[in-house]
Amino acid sequence: MSFWRRNRAFFKLAIVTNLEYRFNYILDSIGQPIVTSGVELAFWSAIFASTGQQTIAGFDLHSYMAYAIWASFMARISVNWMYEFRMIEEVESGGLNTLLVRPMSFFEYYLSQFLGYKIVTTLISLTIPVAVTVALGFPMIWSRLLPAMGLAVYYLVFLFIMSFIVVTFAFHLTRIQGISVAKNLALWIFSGELLPLDIFPEPYRSALIHLPFSSGVFIPVAYITGRVDATVLYSGVLSISVGIAALSAIAYPMWKWGLRRYVGTGA
Amino acid sequence: MRKYWRIYWSFFRTGFIADMEYRANFLFRVVTDTVWYAAQIIGFNVIFTHTKSIAGWDAEKTRVFLGLLFVADAIYMIMLSDNLDKLTDRVRKGELDLLLVKPINSQFIVSLQRVSTSLITNLIMGICFLGYSFAQLPDASVPRLLWLLLMIPCGLVCLYSVRFMISATSVIFTKADNLQFLWHQVYRLGMRPDQIYSRWLRMIVLSVIPVAMIASVPARFVVGPPDWGLAAWTVGWSIFLIWCSSRYWKLALRFYTSASS
Amino acid sequence: MSSPFAIETTDLFRSYRTYEKNPGIWGSLQGFWNRKYTEKMALAATNLQIEPGQIVGMVGANGAGKTTLIKVLSGLIVPSGGQAKVLGFTPWERDYRYLRQMTVLLGQKNQLWWDISPNDSYSLLADIYDLDRGKAKNRVQELAGLLDCGSVLKTQLRRLSLGERMKMEIIGCLLHDPKILFLDEPTIGLDIVAQTAIRKFLAEYVKEKKPTVILTSHYMDDIAKLADRLLLISKGQIVYDGTVPGFAQKSKSKQKITFALTEPCAHPLILAEQHFPQGTLQFSVEVTDHQLPSTMNQITSLTGITDLRLEQVDFEEVIHDFMRGG
Repeated sequence: MSFWRRNRAFFKLAIVTNLEYRFNYILDSIGQPIVTSGVELAFWSAIFASTGQQTIAGFDLHSYMAYAIWASFMARISVNWMYEFRMIEEVESGGLNTLLVRPMSFFEYYLSQFLGYKIVTTLISLTIPVAVTVALGFPMIWSRLLPAMGLAVYYLVFLFIMSFIVVTFAFHLTRIQGISVAKNLALWIFSGELLPLDIFPEPYRSALIHLPFSSGVFIPVAYITGRVDATVLYSGVLSISVGIAALSAIAYPMWKWGLRRYVGTGA
Repeated sequence: MRKYWRIYWSFFRTGFIADMEYRANFLFRVVTDTVWYAAQIIGFNVIFTHTKSIAGWDAEKTRVFLGLLFVADAIYMIMLSDNLDKLTDRVRKGELDLLLVKPINSQFIVSLQRVSTSLITNLIMGICFLGYSFAQLPDASVPRLLWLLLMIPCGLVCLYSVRFMISATSVIFTKADNLQFLWHQVYRLGMRPDQIYSRWLRMIVLSVIPVAMIASVPARFVVGPPDWGLAAWTVGWSIFLIWCSSRYWKLALRFYTSASS
Repeated sequence: MSSPFAIETTDLFRSYRTYEKNPGIWGSLQGFWNRKYTEKMALAATNLQIEPGQIVGMVGANGAGKTTLIKVLSGLIVPSGGQAKVLGFTPWERDYRYLRQMTVLLGQKNQLWWDISPNDSYSLLADIYDLDRGKAKNRVQELAGLLDCGSVLKTQLRRLSLGERMKMEIIGCLLHDPKILFLDEPTIGLDIVAQTAIRKFLAEYVKEKKPTVILTSHYMDDIAKLADRLLLISKGQIVYDGTVPGFAQKSKSKQKITFALTEPCAHPLILAEQHFPQGTLQFSVEVTDHQLPSTMNQITSLTGITDLRLEQVDFEEVIHDFMRGG
């Protein structure tokens, strides 16, 4: 009971503190996807214009544009920069002290905040791709939106455990933001934000789609824009589940090991 | 002038000593940037499996473009990026006061004092990749590489000047995080050859937001015959922009002093 | 609870590994590949027993090990060896039943949330500690009344002054009615008014609630006014453990006599076993109680005395002397 009570409070805390900086918040959730998808739209238009082909890998320009719009939106959701940096900062600066002395775990404290932040951001920034898709008549299967978002939220848990493992490195090494950046860049390719995974040549194509990372961007986006069907969505659920199980098995011992090394600098 | 070289050398030294302190970070920067380079290369390779060329750029030429992008970006990251990104912070924390009282050009010290020496490995990787992709060009002509000695510095100067003016805006308004943030987004436009963009967008990335100057323009001088008009424009524009940046900095400082007194 | 003590440690110690770097670019390159590490003892084997309700003041220079001891006992860091039991729990296992009964105040750190008001922070704390909302609210009102800071409860933390913030932190610490309080520098950096207010509040609080307290402070007044037991830590070791007055007794020098002569003295002088060479003008002698009468006799027999003063030696100075001697 007390578990749910405090986690509901963390969830709310994330929303309250982020709304405190309204301007940054709006920019993060709306401004960034607009610019990114603008660049992508220009890019795909140029590719189609210069090749003169009607389709690339079986999909037409509209289909790529729809992908670009939704992918830049989805990529905003399924990435963890802010809270990962904050968590690393807590360990490095000794800010962790104030969390450790309370009857709660660091993991739940940040997971609940992360989900709270992400879910609200999602609801706000969802308006952009929806508006663009409707206005420009891009291919879109509306009934698939809800299951796709469900998959994305499930992916967030997986993503968070990855962040948590990165954070445990901070007990042993200083200034590990580099790991974080490297990981997020790798996800940029593996998730399908960079390019739709289905235009990669085989065997990379199948490998990338079957890894859990594809559930961050490619699977939900491809599913709602009609590039793939429900079987891919289910395989996403499965691969995330396997991923969560595997990462959890490492995460806890890593955390315990880190805490033994912790010196609580600062205060 | 000698004095400034000496000062820069000591910036370099202190930067190096500081960077060596954080081994893990050092190694991960290398890993990160390798991933980033790989992503760019993979991205274009995948697209070229479906099409022969994009806006006149085929696979070989695009690789040269990427090589130049890596080299120029590495230089930018080593010398400038960290300084310009943190300028806003420095203003807010009042660190600018300490820099301004030194008997030295304040724009110089503000823009160049932090040298990210850990990224020299990136520069080396970039040069290797550029060399490799240049050798792959069917009509590779070595003398054309001499153009780079002029075009890369000019491109960097253009990019620096505009980026610096954005940072300097933070001296006037103290809160300009969002401008910086938008800059990072717009910078992505420079990661593709400018010819793929529509006419008006090209004009923008070659002038007001000169992100295409960093790699796209120098690449054109390596993969094809020199475009004298473009060369003149790049040199002239870089001189104009750096002049603007220094004027703008002086203007910004007037605001700074009047704001804090 | 089997142990009669609230806090008990056996051979508890903690060491750190640090690395030394040679100067210059070459030194940096060497350090990159090959590092020399040295072990540093932050807390030497400590055996400590603290009874429930006792207020223990801990004093020592920076880096002496006070904070390390507090961090180990509050479960923040894991010791390198030894045992500790606090309220029957091993702190670093961080059992929630233990954490609910203890609190730590780190004077240099914010524990409340920066971007929200103290009131919002308190209701979040009530959720974390699973407290009854209404009771928590009343308690905040009560504590805020005692600290005289009810007016700022609704202002965001980042807009408050240092003194106000510290008061807010104290309320946050005491909200769940902890049985054990670790207070690390609760008055650091505050002005005299705020220091006195907080000191007064803590004195009243401990009198009423009878918690077990470990308190560290740079201000000896904090310790002298609040603590009924004093621990002096130097270089990771406890060098004195006893009462505050007992400490003053033990550290012999209790009073200080200062005086000057109008003419330099013609002969070497010995006052309370301290030597003063021929020609001295200014004198400063520290004496114990039983040396006082004879020394005073000696001094008054001198000619041309001006500016004679007798002062109680400052507690703070006593500690410094003790540490220098030890």
